[in-house]
Amino acid sequence: MNDMVKLEKVVKVYGHGATEVQALRGVDLALEAGEFTVVMGPSGSGKTTLLNIIGSLDRPTRGRVLIDGEDTTRLSASSLSRLRLTRIGFVFQAYNLIPVLTAYENAEYVLMLQGRRPDERREKIMGLLRTVGLEGMENRFPRELSGGQQQRVAIARAIASEPELVLADEPTANLDSGTAASLLDLMAQLNEEKGATFLFSTHDPQVMRRARRTIVLHDGEIAADRHGPAGDE
Amino acid sequence: MTLRIAWRNLWRNWKRTAITFAAVSFSTAVLVASYALMIGWTQVMEKSVTDLSVGEVQVHHPDYRSERSLYDTVENPEMVLEAAAARRIPASARSFGFGLLSSGSKSAGGQFWGVLPEAERAVSDLAANLLEGDYLGPSPQRRVVLGRKLARSLGAAVGTELVVVVQAADGSLGNDIYTVAGILKGVGESLDRSLALIHRQDYEELFVFPGKVHEIVLNTRGAMDPELAAAAILPAAGTNEVITWRRLLPTLAQMFDSMIASVLIFGAIFLLAAGVGVLNTMLMATFERIPEFGLVKAIGASPWRILREISTEAVILGFFGSVAGGAAGVLIALRFERHPLDLTMFVEELNFMGIAVTNEVPFALTPACVWGPVLAMWAASVLAALWPAVRAARMKPVEALTHV
Repeated sequence: MNDMVKLEKVVKVYGHGATEVQALRGVDLALEAGEFTVVMGPSGSGKTTLLNIIGSLDRPTRGRVLIDGEDTTRLSASSLSRLRLTRIGFVFQAYNLIPVLTAYENAEYVLMLQGRRPDERREKIMGLLRTVGLEGMENRFPRELSGGQQQRVAIARAIASEPELVLADEPTANLDSGTAASLLDLMAQLNEEKGATFLFSTHDPQVMRRARRTIVLHDGEIAADRHGPAGDE
Repeated sequence: MTLRIAWRNLWRNWKRTAITFAAVSFSTAVLVASYALMIGWTQVMEKSVTDLSVGEVQVHHPDYRSERSLYDTVENPEMVLEAAAARRIPASARSFGFGLLSSGSKSAGGQFWGVLPEAERAVSDLAANLLEGDYLGPSPQRRVVLGRKLARSLGAAVGTELVVVVQAADGSLGNDIYTVAGILKGVGESLDRSLALIHRQDYEELFVFPGKVHEIVLNTRGAMDPELAAAAILPAAGTNEVITWRRLLPTLAQMFDSMIASVLIFGAIFLLAAGVGVLNTMLMATFERIPEFGLVKAIGASPWRILREISTEAVILGFFGSVAGGAAGVLIALRFERHPLDLTMFVEELNFMGIAVTNEVPFALTPACVWGPVLAMWAASVLAALWPAVRAARMKPVEALTHV
């Protein structure tokens, strides 16, 4: 199978001199299309940095990042924007919705950036909001939604354009277990039905149990990489 | 969507938006009103200069202005007057000469202006500036209209008989008795002290100088550009000098030009101040939303898109601010266009380089007075927002997302 994501000796260093911190120390990693993978590890182990670099939100200090064989470390800022827009979906820990847009508009935003027709956008987003259980809340602004509802909007936005790769950084960190479970069900369903590749960073055992592959990061290095949920030996 | 986001963002901190809106509006209103004031004032002063006595164009013998000789007269004045009449340009021929005026024991030197009263009315407002008495009648009656200070020196009032003695053109001594028909208001230092306005026929007899003219004054009262009026009669002027008021009184013309320049500088300062206000607002609005920009970049918005979203806010704010300010400025200017600003409380008699200027300053609202400041203020608002917009657009998504 082709690697959807491939990291070759990726190093990320923050600061310099006495304040230098190595967040990633020569990480080699390959993700195949359709994987449902969890990255776990203690705080400061480099999980978020790894996701940021795979998602081209940040550039590695050294090494290469390939998405479907294309080296993203050589792309311009505009090309990276285009890559994120068309192929990658993000779910952040802290909901990260645009406060002046309604739930519907937030979910619609990526499709609008992609230049999809309004009627196509409407059909897609209304269906997605129904799927994430936000039917009837389309016109609510983020401040009028609970944390779980906001995260559902963020997930709807992340998957609206049916990206090949969804990166989710601690997506359930601020959610109650019931809400977290329903969102995980949704993402698993998308993974199975659409074949989208999911990469989570998490501390949440509920997420870990769902993973089909688990990567353990420790001090910026991959300490373990095994197939199956965390805890399965 | 861009417009919607920009509009809603403006309402996120409505107090800050209101303050910036007020700053842009106020600056635009001040600019519109001050431009209208300066244009009105300049027009009034130009009009005072040209309409009181100088006219828009003058024709002389080429040596007259430097020599002031009685014998340097306009060549073929009829041709010039006919050319002016053919182009419907009001014109008046003036003959000048110096002499002595006496009333009782008092005497004073004066400059006689021999004019045809009706023609002179068409080019100058001297007739409309009588302090007392009447202007000259259509026929010669040995009557004189005096400058205010000359009348005071002579102790003359309307009806006073004056003995006039002059050196005539043929070398003889011309003398006669004239009756004071009227006394002028203050029309400028030089004319106040020396003007003795008489009928041209009386002049020709007194100075024994028939058919001679020292100056032809043309005045369309703004209907025609002075340069065009000068060009229109130039072919008929022959060797005579044809000169516009701007070249005749260059210092005054430069002063008027510098007034316009000072308004432009004043305007630039206001633009800068309002621009800094918008810059401050946009900087604050941008900085507090950096994580948001990080988010939209993360989900695929291009730097150009960020730039456009922030600039659109400035475009909206600048548009409404400058249009509202423009409207307020128009109302202020219209108020003072109809009821001119009275400067009497500051100065009783306004005099610029010896030329009296009216104390009432009307605002002159021209289209350029409005669209100039409105467009400039709008542009300044948008330009001021560009810097924070570019900064936000160029930030790395990960830095923006984690910005505190």
